[in-house]
Amino acid sequence: MTATAWAWLVLLFPLLGSIVIALGYRALPQKVAGMIGTAAIALSFACGVAALLSLLGDEPEARHHASSLWDYASVAGLDIKLGIYLDQLSIFMVLVVTGVSTLIHLYSYGYMQSDAGYHRFFSYLNFFVFSMLLLVLAGNFVLLIVGWAFVGFASYALISFWYRRETATRAGLKAFVINVVGDIGLVLAAFLIFRELGSFDYGTVFEKAPQVFSTNEWTITAICLLLLVGAFAKSAQLPLHTWLPDAMEGPTPVSSLIHAATMVTAGVYLIARTHVLFALAPTAADIAAFIGLATLLVAATIALVMTDLKRAIAYSTMSQIGYMVVGVSIGAYGAGMFHLMTHAFFKALLFMAAGSIIAAMANEQNIDRMGGFAKAMRFTSVTMLCGGLALAAFPLTSGFFSKDEILAYAGARGGMYLIFVVLGYLGAFLTAIYTFRLIFRVLGGEPCAEARELIETGHVHHAEPRNPATNELEDTDVGFPGPEHHIAETSAPMRIAMGVLAFLALVGGLVQVPGVDNVVADFLDPAFEGPVLAHVHPSIEWDWIGLAIGGAISLLGIWAAHWLYVANPERPRALEARFQGVHDFLFRKWYFDELIDVLVVRPALAIGRFANRVFERLVVDGLVTGTEGTVRGTSGVVRAVQNGFVRSYALLLIAGFAGLALYFLLSSS
Amino acid sequence: MSNVLLWAPLAFGLVGLSLPRRAVGPWAVLGTLVTLGVAIAMVVGFDSGDSALQYVENTPWISGLGVDYSLGVDGLNLFLILLTAVLWTGGVAFAAFRDYERPKTFFFAMLVAETATLGSFLAQDLLLFVLFFDFMLVPFYFLFGAWGHDRSGEGGPTAAGATLKMIIYTLIGSLLMLVAAIATAIIAADGGHITFSIQALQEQGIGLGSQRWIFWFFAAAFLVKMPAFLLHGWMPDAYRAAPLPALAVFSGVLAKVGAYGFLRIVLPLFPDATVEFQEVLLVIALASILYGSVMAFTQTNVRLIAGYSSVAQLGFITAGIFALRADGSDGAILQMVNHGLVVAPLFVIVAILLERTGTEDIRAMGGMALRAPVLAALFLIVALATLAMPGSSNFVGEFYILNGLFQAKIVFAFIAISGVAMSAYYALRLYQGTMHNRQPEGLLSREIGLRDALVLAPLVICILALSLYPQLILKRTNPSVERTMAKVTREAAPESKLAEGSTPIGPLTVQEAREIIQSAPAPESRPVVGENP
Amino acid sequence: MNIEWYIVLSSLLFATGVLGILIRRSPMVILLCLELMLNAGNLALVAFSRMVGNEQGQVFAVIVMVIAACEVVVGLGLIVAIFRRRLPLNVDDLRELRG
Repeated sequence: MTATAWAWLVLLFPLLGSIVIALGYRALPQKVAGMIGTAAIALSFACGVAALLSLLGDEPEARHHASSLWDYASVAGLDIKLGIYLDQLSIFMVLVVTGVSTLIHLYSYGYMQSDAGYHRFFSYLNFFVFSMLLLVLAGNFVLLIVGWAFVGFASYALISFWYRRETATRAGLKAFVINVVGDIGLVLAAFLIFRELGSFDYGTVFEKAPQVFSTNEWTITAICLLLLVGAFAKSAQLPLHTWLPDAMEGPTPVSSLIHAATMVTAGVYLIARTHVLFALAPTAADIAAFIGLATLLVAATIALVMTDLKRAIAYSTMSQIGYMVVGVSIGAYGAGMFHLMTHAFFKALLFMAAGSIIAAMANEQNIDRMGGFAKAMRFTSVTMLCGGLALAAFPLTSGFFSKDEILAYAGARGGMYLIFVVLGYLGAFLTAIYTFRLIFRVLGGEPCAEARELIETGHVHHAEPRNPATNELEDTDVGFPGPEHHIAETSAPMRIAMGVLAFLALVGGLVQVPGVDNVVADFLDPAFEGPVLAHVHPSIEWDWIGLAIGGAISLLGIWAAHWLYVANPERPRALEARFQGVHDFLFRKWYFDELIDVLVVRPALAIGRFANRVFERLVVDGLVTGTEGTVRGTSGVVRAVQNGFVRSYALLLIAGFAGLALYFLLSSS
Repeated sequence: MSNVLLWAPLAFGLVGLSLPRRAVGPWAVLGTLVTLGVAIAMVVGFDSGDSALQYVENTPWISGLGVDYSLGVDGLNLFLILLTAVLWTGGVAFAAFRDYERPKTFFFAMLVAETATLGSFLAQDLLLFVLFFDFMLVPFYFLFGAWGHDRSGEGGPTAAGATLKMIIYTLIGSLLMLVAAIATAIIAADGGHITFSIQALQEQGIGLGSQRWIFWFFAAAFLVKMPAFLLHGWMPDAYRAAPLPALAVFSGVLAKVGAYGFLRIVLPLFPDATVEFQEVLLVIALASILYGSVMAFTQTNVRLIAGYSSVAQLGFITAGIFALRADGSDGAILQMVNHGLVVAPLFVIVAILLERTGTEDIRAMGGMALRAPVLAALFLIVALATLAMPGSSNFVGEFYILNGLFQAKIVFAFIAISGVAMSAYYALRLYQGTMHNRQPEGLLSREIGLRDALVLAPLVICILALSLYPQLILKRTNPSVERTMAKVTREAAPESKLAEGSTPIGPLTVQEAREIIQSAPAPESRPVVGENP
Repeated sequence: MNIEWYIVLSSLLFATGVLGILIRRSPMVILLCLELMLNAGNLALVAFSRMVGNEQGQVFAVIVMVIAACEVVVGLGLIVAIFRRRLPLNVDDLRELRG
C-alpha cells in the first residue's frame, strides 16, 4: 500500500470509532465503548507508523505525496478537492498526535470510568483525534480550515462536557467564539492566497509563492499576519489566549489531550507548514516571534501565582507554546517541532498526574489546600516529578534538549535575535520556579486531610462535588464527576499511560543531542528545504554552551523554588503582602479578560440592546406601521361606502344606471 | 415533467378536500412525497453540463398580451425546486402527525402553497412569475391567520393582525413588481409585439434610464420578501404568529424566492442597472448581515433568534449575488439550499421544544440534553450547520460567497465576515440555552418521538450528505450561473462607458442605448471581473 | 294603441319598484318590488315586440319570468332561513356585509 493509502486509514479509524460509539451509545457496554475508542486510535497510530515506513522507502527529497478522493467544491475557478498532503512534517505530527492520543485514551479508559457520559466522552475524543489528523493531513487550505474548525468544535464539546455546569458551558462558548475569530483569519488568508496565486492547494501555493511575491511585499505580509490570527487563536497566544485557562473546566484528560499536547500546538504546525510564505515575509515572522516571546513571559509570570492546579499548568502550556512559536518563526523549524513533541510528552503527563491528584482531592483544584501527596500517592508523585523535571528543563531530560535548541538557534542568528536568547532564559528560570512551586506545594509539605485519609484508610476522599468558581452544588446527573474517583494507584490503564509518558519525558530528548544524533531534525529538514533560514545552524560548541547555561538556570530556578516554598513557607505570603499590586496584577491575569470585556463584549451587547429597544421599535416598526397605516387609512375611505344597507347599494346602482342612461341620451342627441 | 411537478400538489390538495378528516393528513404527505419523487427524478435526469433551460413547457396563454404559460428548469432553480419538495414533505409530515383544527383546509392550504412556490421557481414568463409570486401569499395568509398563535396576551398582535401586516407590506412590494413587469415588457417591445418571456426580454434589452427605476421596483419586492434590513419589519410579528410547520416551509423556501428573483430576472434583464447599483445592494446586504446577527444574539424568543439569523443569512446570499462573480452566485444558490435545510429543522425543533416546555423563551429552558440525547445530537448538527461550521455545506456556500465578494470588493468582504463570528455566538447560545445548563424546575424533558424523528432525521441526513459532497449542487448550478454572469460582466463595460462618456444620462430610448452599446469597444478588451493578475 | 302608453305604464311600474326597494325594510316587500321591476321590464319587452312585429321579444319575457321564479325561490328561501334563525326581518339590521 502506498503512503497516502495508509494516511487515509489514519483518518478513517478515529472517525469510524467516533461514529460507532455515538450510534451505539445505548447498545454498547461502557467498557466496550472505551476499548473501541482506544483501539481506533491505536490502529490509527499503527497506520501512521506504516505510512512512515512507506515514506522512508522514498528518497528524502521525494517524501511528499498528495492524494484526493473526490471534488469537494470545484467550480468557477476554485479547485477544492478532498485531498491530503503527506510529507515529513505531517507524518511527524500524525505520529505525535496519534501516539499521545492513544495513551490519553488509555488513561481516560480508567479515569472516566464512573462518569455517566462515558460513551459521549469517547465519541467526542475520537472525533477530536480525527479532526486533528484532518488538520495535519489536509492537502489544501480549505480542508485545513475544516480540520481547524473541527478541532475547535471538539474542544468546545469537551470543555462543556459537563454541560449542566454553567461555568463550563460559558467557557466552551468563549473558546469556540475566539477560535472562530481565528478561523476567520485563516479564511481571509485563504482568499488572499487565492487572489494572488489562484489556488488553495499546498503544492501549487508553495511552488508559486516565491515566483509571485517579492520579499516583504504587503500582500504576503498580510497573508502571513492573517494566518497568524488563526494560529494564535488556536495556540492561545496573546491577545487571543483568554479561552485556554477557562478551558480547564473540561475533564482533565481533555486538558491533557487537547489543551496541552495536541490541539493548542496546531498554530505552531501551521507556521511550520506555511514556512515558505513566512520566509517571504520576514516582518510577519518577526512579529510572530515577538508575540511568542511576550506570551512566553506573560504566561510564565501568571503561572507563578495561580492557585488552581490545572490553570497553573494551562498557563505553563501557553508559555511553552510561546517557545515553539518563537522557534518556528525565527526559522528553527526542526527545534520547534522537536519541542512540540517533547512538550506533548511531559505536559500530557503533568495533566494526567494532576488529574489523579484532583481525583484524590475529590475534585478540589486549589493547591493551597493540597500537600503531602508524595507519601500518599507514590506512583503519581514520581511521574509528576518526571514531568516537572522535563518541563523545568532539568539537565538530560527531554525539555532540556528541545528548549535549548530553540534558544541556541536564536543565538546563531545573532543581532536582534539575541533578545530571544536573553528573555528565553529568563522564561526558563520562571518555568523552573513555577513548576517546582506546584510540585513542592502539592507533593511536599504536611499531608492535607485528603492525603491523610488516603494514607490511613487507603480510600479516596469523597465529598459533595461543588463548583470551585461558584461554590454551587454540581448536578451529578450528567456525570460530574461520578460517584467514584479513579487515581493512578488503583487503575492499571492510567498507570500504563503515565508510565510510558514518564519514560518518554525523561529520555525522549536523547533522539536529538547536539553532536551525537539529530533524528528529528534530519528527518524533517527536507520538508523545510526552500528557505535560506533552514541552513542556519548553531555550531555544536555553542549548542553545548547553551545547554550548560540552560541547565544552570534550571537548577537555579529549582533552588529558588525550594528557597521560596520549602525552606520558609511564610516567605511567599510575606512577598505577596509586600508586592500586593504586582500580585493582584498577575493574579487577575494581567486584566486581559476585563480588557476584552470592555472592548468587545460590552459594545456588541450594547449595540444589540440599542437595536432592539430603539431602532427596531422606532425606525423598522415605524416603517411597517406607517405603510400599514396608509393602506388602512385609504381603504377606510373605500370601506365607508360599504355600509351594509341594501338600500344604499340599490341607490348607488340606480344612480349609476341613471347616470349612464343620461350620458347615452345626451350623447346620442 | 414540469407540469406534473407543478400541479401535483394542487391536485392532491383538491382530492384531499373530499376525503374523511382522518385520511387527509396521510394523503397530503403522499402528495408531497409524489412531488418529491418527481423533483428527484428531475435532478437525476438533469444534464449538468448544459446551461440552457431543460424540461421546458411552453404554451401561449394570453396571446394578445404576449403572456405564455412557460416553465423550465436550469441550474438556477433546479435545487431550489428540490428544496421546496423536501421541505414541504417535512413540514406536511410534521403537521400530519399532529391534530390540527379543520385539517382539510389546513392541508389544502399547505399544498396550494407548494404549487404556488414551485410555480414561481419554474416560471419562465415574467407575468407568470409575478402571478405565482403573489399567489404564494394567499395560502399563507390563511395558514398564519387561521392557525396562528395569538400574541395579544404578551403585548403582541393577534394572529390575524400580524398576518394582515405582513400581507399589506409584502403586497406593496408585489404591486410595484407588477407595474415593473408590465413596464419592462412594454418598453422592451418598443411599439412592436409585446412578450413577457424572460428569454425574449433578455435579448431585447431596455435602456438604462428605464432599467434604473424598474430595477428598484423589482428590488423592493424581493428585498421585502427576503426580508432585508429596514424592510424586515413584518418579520418579527409574522414569525411569532405563524404555526410552526407552515413557518418552517415559509422561512425555508419563500425567503429564497426573493433572492432567486434577483438571479432569474434582475441580473439578466437589467444588467446595466445591476452594475450601477451593485454597491447600494451590497450595503443593504451587509446591513442585513450585521443587523440580523446583532439582533439574533439579543433575542430571547427562539423563533426570533431563528428569524433574525435568517435576515443575516439572506444578507450573505444577497451579497454573494451582487458580488457579480460566478463564484459568489454559485455560493449564493448553494447557500439558499443550505439555509433552507437548516432553518426548517430548526423550526421543527422549536415546535418540539414548545410541546415539551410550553414556552418559546430561551431563558425558561435548559438542560434537556440529558433526557433527550438524540434530540440534542440532531439539534447540535443543525446548530453547527447554521453557524456555517467549516466542514458543513453551509461553510462551502459562505466560502464561495465571501470569496466572490473578496475578489470583487475586498472591503465588503472584511465587514461581511464579522457576521460569521456573531453567528457562532448566537447559534451556540441557542443550543446551549435549550440543551445545556441547569434544567429549570418543572421543565418536562423527554426524548424525541419516533414520528418526529422521521421528519427531523432525514433533514439532518440531507445536511450531512450535502456537507460531504457540495459539488453535487455546485456542478449543476455553475453553467447557468456563468451564463447569467456573462450577461452582467459583458454589459458592465458599456455601462461604464455610458457613465464616463459625454452622453447626457437621462431616460434613454432603446435605440439610443443600443447605439451606445454598439459603439463600445470589442469584448476582448474589456476588463473581466475576477481574472487573476 | 300607441306604444308610448305601454312605456309610460312600464316606467311607472318600474319606478314604484325602485321606490319600494329604496324605502321599505322588509325583505318580503323588497322581493315583491323586485318582481314589480321585472314585470315592468316584461311589459316593455312585450310591447316592443308587438311594435316591431317580431315574436322574439316575447321569448325574452318568458325567460325573464323563469328567472324571476328562480329568484323568488332563492329569495324566499333566504327569508325563511332568516326567519328560522330568529333574526329580525329587517334589512337594515342585517348588515353583515359592512366593510
